[in-house]
Amino acid sequence: MRRPRVPLPPFVRFLLRRAAALLLLCLGTTVIAFGFTQLVPGDPVAANLGEQAAADPAAVAAFEDRYGLDEPVPVQYLIYLRNLLRGDLGESLQDHQPVRENLATYVPASAELAILSTLVAVFVGVAFGIAAAVRRNRLGDHALRVVSLVGISMPTFWIALLALYIFFFRLGWFPGGDRLDPGILAPPHVTGMYTIDAALAGQWDVMVNAFHHLVLPALVLAAYNVGLLTRYTRSAVLEVIGNDYVRAARAKGLAERVVLLRHVLRAALPSVVTVIGLVFANVLTGTVLVETIFAWPGIGQYAYRSAVTLDLPSIMGVGLFVAVVYISINFVVDVLYGVIDPRIRVT
Amino acid sequence: MSTTLAPEGPARARLRPRWPRQAGGQPLAVIGATLVAAWLVVAVLAPYLAPHDPLAQSAEAFAAPSSEHLFGTDELGRDVFSRVLYGARISLPLGLLLVVLAAAIGGILGGLAGYFRGWTDGVVMRTTDLVFAFPAIILAMVVTAALGPGLTNAVLALVIVAWPSYARVVRSLVLSVADSEYVWATRLLGSSSRRTLVREVLPNVVGPVLVLATLDVGNAILLLSGLSFLGLGAQPPDPEWGSMVATGTQFFQFWWIGTFPGLAIFSAVLAFNFIGDSLRDVFDPRTARESRERM
Repeated sequence: MRRPRVPLPPFVRFLLRRAAALLLLCLGTTVIAFGFTQLVPGDPVAANLGEQAAADPAAVAAFEDRYGLDEPVPVQYLIYLRNLLRGDLGESLQDHQPVRENLATYVPASAELAILSTLVAVFVGVAFGIAAAVRRNRLGDHALRVVSLVGISMPTFWIALLALYIFFFRLGWFPGGDRLDPGILAPPHVTGMYTIDAALAGQWDVMVNAFHHLVLPALVLAAYNVGLLTRYTRSAVLEVIGNDYVRAARAKGLAERVVLLRHVLRAALPSVVTVIGLVFANVLTGTVLVETIFAWPGIGQYAYRSAVTLDLPSIMGVGLFVAVVYISINFVVDVLYGVIDPRIRVT
Repeated sequence: MSTTLAPEGPARARLRPRWPRQAGGQPLAVIGATLVAAWLVVAVLAPYLAPHDPLAQSAEAFAAPSSEHLFGTDELGRDVFSRVLYGARISLPLGLLLVVLAAAIGGILGGLAGYFRGWTDGVVMRTTDLVFAFPAIILAMVVTAALGPGLTNAVLALVIVAWPSYARVVRSLVLSVADSEYVWATRLLGSSSRRTLVREVLPNVVGPVLVLATLDVGNAILLLSGLSFLGLGAQPPDPEWGSMVATGTQFFQFWWIGTFPGLAIFSAVLAFNFIGDSLRDVFDPRTARESRERM
């Protein structure tokens, strides 16, 4: 006897569907990464081991065995996938450390930078966007339009250079790079983010120092996203500000601030939330450019070093890691959007 | 490449925007067009405008800006002003080429996906999903690292990154236009499917793709200079703006080496973004500045 199937609640179905898409996409990125390692012109052994090790027959044999290089390509992919699932991303050609360990060292530094920068960008960008929408077609709107276009037009690496020249070299307000002043020891490792670790350990002077180092690169990194979020928030607010319920809120005598924050922003928020994935992608892109200039030891700088030294396992490791993080963030955004706006779940 | 054009906008996109009337209300478009035109002139006439050979290491190194060297000289004694002028011959044509290639490839694939639907649609759309799963510059770095650094490979890498936005927009436009009643009407009147595609579907696709492409040129220049800044695009001694800024970061106490090439990137990208933003206003009246509805 078959029991009748109980239909899952719509939200669970929505979650499951998104989770399945998430897994498929992650699998897809591994296919892409594997495909690129196949594309490398020349000898894959040399590309993955470096010239020196490739001259050593024992190292070559061990490498070929580990990755099944004498097997057909589909089998090679399965071996590659099995290694990935075990957390084996290969070995960096620069320092012969496992790529996974390198990532573990560099990710917290970038995360600290990315989180602060995103927070700044969201606050400033959303505030600018509301201000522009409220002043629609007036001077303030036009000024903010130019500001946001300037924000998305300035090369991040150029802002970084100017900021470093002015605020470090000329004015001396901020340090010129790295995460702490020389001579200051890193706080005990908990998260790897120095400001948080220092606070947890109660080392307030270390925390202040770490934060001082963090400010300039985070602000530089935020510039592009401020421009982007200003534009998005402005259009999102304009979409809802003319609605009847906003007029009703005004008519019943609510303060303009309350109307804007409680009624308008609340309705505009879902469309702003959808851009957060894009914002985060921009931050990741920016870290590559900013970290090299500020000597910030994060994954951006690691990716840069790997790319210029043609360290294929490392650059693939960073690429895969970033892609998986990015896909996961978009997944969270999707789900959040479904929570905020129930209409989405149905379709 | 991130774009903000809503893909579901075919009905709103008018085929022939009323340019003359709109241009008066779009000062940014005028400024942008003027700047772009100026840069194009510089690109064409660089050999006549540049006071020095961009590669000649004739002057004193690290000379500050002066009447002889307007933007100073770099670490090898090359004239930064001449190099910036010559840089326009690399960044502008390659940025345009990149967008044209991406729009052509994405347009064709998206058109096929929308027209044939079924598995063609599935394959194309899942591929765009995959490309979108990587942040642009990371994927471009992976590609150039695999293929080897150089301007050609950098352009190729960015085309790979950029085509999916066009594919998605064109697909959704073709899907919605092909289903609209007036297209059915022309077909019922006996129009061949090729004629329908060319006469009815294509014109409705061109407008939005043009907007998207204009919005993208600035981004393309930005990303290409970014790859060159990282040493993955233009190679020395090419006078490319991004790689010149990279030199500037090595000698940043001599501010002129990096500041002026960066200013060149900024002004060119800003010009294209001014045009693109104004175009979007014309095509998307919902959030436009000059608007009749509401408020």
